[in-house]
Amino acid sequence: MNRTQTGLDAVHLDPVRATDFVPREPVFQLRDLSVSYSGNVAIRDVTLDVYEKAVTAFIGPSGCGKSTLIRCFDRMNDLVPGAKVDGDVLYHGEDLYAPGVDPVEVRRRIGMVFQKPNPFPKSIYDNVAFGPRVLGLKGTMDLRVEQALQQAALWDEVKDRLKESALGLSGGQQQRLCIARCLAVEPDVILMDEPASALDPISTTRIEDLMHELKRDYTIVIVTHNMQQAARVADMTAFFSVEVAPDGKRTGVLVEYDRTAKIFTTPADQRTEDYVTGRFG
Amino acid sequence: MRISFQEELDELEGSLHMEGELVLRSLRGAVEAVCGQDLELADEVIAFDDDVDAQYFQVEQGIELLLARQTPVASDLRLVLAILKDNLHLERMGDLCVTIAKLTKLTKGLPPDETLLEGFREMGERAEQMIRVALRSLEQRDRVAAESLLELDELIDRANRRIVNRLLEIGHEVEQREWGLRMILVSRCLERIGDHAVDIGEQTAYLVTGEFREFTDASH
Repeated sequence: MNRTQTGLDAVHLDPVRATDFVPREPVFQLRDLSVSYSGNVAIRDVTLDVYEKAVTAFIGPSGCGKSTLIRCFDRMNDLVPGAKVDGDVLYHGEDLYAPGVDPVEVRRRIGMVFQKPNPFPKSIYDNVAFGPRVLGLKGTMDLRVEQALQQAALWDEVKDRLKESALGLSGGQQQRLCIARCLAVEPDVILMDEPASALDPISTTRIEDLMHELKRDYTIVIVTHNMQQAARVADMTAFFSVEVAPDGKRTGVLVEYDRTAKIFTTPADQRTEDYVTGRFG
Repeated sequence: MRISFQEELDELEGSLHMEGELVLRSLRGAVEAVCGQDLELADEVIAFDDDVDAQYFQVEQGIELLLARQTPVASDLRLVLAILKDNLHLERMGDLCVTIAKLTKLTKGLPPDETLLEGFREMGERAEQMIRVALRSLEQRDRVAAESLLELDELIDRANRRIVNRLLEIGHEVEQREWGLRMILVSRCLERIGDHAVDIGEQTAYLVTGEFREFTDASH
């Protein structure tokens, strides 16, 4: 793959049009990042930057390694037996995988929302208060819970039933609760792995609206199968593809990373064009 | 592979080309009517514009449906946007042919000038050639051919200027002057058809390169 298409130093992000996204500081800098599971390379040589207070989307077909990649940002791959991460992940310029970096502290700064809403079988209030309590965060808990629910656009719907079980909420509400739970520990980055794929269209729209709101204060990385979702919410989009070796081994590679507007109007790589226009597979 | 989508897109482009063929017929009719003072043919050209308009609406509706249902992106999106604009350009060309036909009717019984009519034949041929080049460059995604429209436009512009100069020379009889005034508009219509062809060429360049730019001063 041509590194000039993916590196910070080489992506030409000078705004051309007035509406072009202007990147701020990079929060993450991936350099030649590869991840393998028990010797099988899942994704290879990824070099890209994730910019502050913007939404970055990872798109690509199944098996292209996009979920593997997002799990490098909060060191979730550490939990997978046999997983090996090569190359560098810099977080605000510091090596995220350096010895002495505490993965738990990493995950406080970098929250994750999963495909299926996974609230604890506790009350709505306790779901949000759980993280701050465990971490011993200071301040009034009631205020913290309210703020997090407000930010997740869920407060008005649940303020009168905070003591009720979170499991009684609808799927879309549960997902926003998981976002509130994430926000309650004051993270810097929110990672979302297919956050709306299990939701109905109205709930999906709410999550997407929420992303627009949240990117004022947070850096968001989203993995999605839904290309139109990437087109709607993301400022930057990375397209990954799968390379199949002669022995049948499949490896994810980064094909193109650019402004979302560019990816969906004039992609530079034919593989991106084929994928976004639906001519792939 | 989105097979039905691709078919719809091909069909849409086919409809646009069909509209182009109708406009070519309209143009030939309009030029023949004005050069032969054929009022019957002029009426036919005016009536025939309904066919052009029907084709225009068909393309327009096809675009609306495609955008609503298929959300085209990348080169597909550029093609749909190019078709959207080309459709309008072709429809306007059709309208200009109607204007020529109406001007023909308004000059009924007025004395024509043979040199000028020869000039209109030349402009008509040039306009026809430009429409063909514009449609073919779209069909073949040929940016170089699209850009060649600029040179062709220069030729039709020159012919237009020659006609204006000739009009200044012809007699001072009231009837001749009235005929001349009508005919300056015919010349202008043919020249404008050339400009629309250049605009279609610009859309082809946009479709191929992804960058929209005007071919210099073509429409001035």
